Amino acid sequence: MLNLLLQLQLLLAALSAFLPLVPEEHRARAGEILDIVAKVLSAGGSIASNADDLAAKLVAVRAEVEAMATAKSAVSAEQLDAAMNRVRAASTGFRAALEAAETQ
Amino acid sequence: MRHPLRVLALACALTLTPSCASLQLGSTTIENPLAAAQTMDQRAYALLHAYAAIVEEATDIVADPATPQAFKRALGQAERVATPAAETLQIAVSAYIRARSDFDAASGANQSVIQRAATALSVAAHRLNEAVAGAQAPIAELEGLVRARRG
Repeated sequence: MLNLLLQLQLLLAALSAFLPLVPEEHRARAGEILDIVAKVLSAGGSIASNADDLAAKLVAVRAEVEAMATAKSAVSAEQLDAAMNRVRAASTGFRAALEAAETQ
Repeated sequence: MRHPLRVLALACALTLTPSCASLQLGSTTIENPLAAAQTMDQRAYALLHAYAAIVEEATDIVADPATPQAFKRALGQAERVATPAAETLQIAVSAYIRARSDFDAASGANQSVIQRAATALSVAAHRLNEAVAGAQAPIAELEGLVRARRG
């Protein structure tokens, strides 16, 4: 998804390079449209990257667990501690963000 | 601007295209790390990491000023239920890892020591199974909220 957005942004940049070729009377309008498209692409990219974030994290977890399963390795106490530390850090961050949001 | 509606339509299309493309509604491609696990401890490990990833995502949603307050409160309630379940899971998997280690260490001991270690491992495995089952529903609830918001 992010690759598609990048391609669209590159296309937009390429189109912008042709702006001087647009007739004088339409140039301002064309520039305005390209500007709006750039802003919209940026907003869409932000939404998509958020959605991709969780999926990417879950893919990473799955890859790690698959590697464990393939190697038939057991979870060590250290790995478990690291996982739980991540949960605690995430929970603490979440509660702080929620508290901040409630006081706004 | 002579054609504001056209510009608006183009803006809408460009905004929604990437979001819709990342929508995985009804799809089977949503990653489920638990499905890759082959042992109970791996399942528990996958569940804890997946839960942490979900809470990290929920944090971003809560920090977003555009998120409605009622939705933030719903996320807060779901997290308050799910995190204790994750803590219970961690305790159960720690006990299971210890019991398994004791069982492995008892392999050269006499029969009664092996029997005691095997019983302890069986109890720990049963409790771990219960803890995994108990954690899945509240974690799935928080995940459902996060996915509903993110699409």
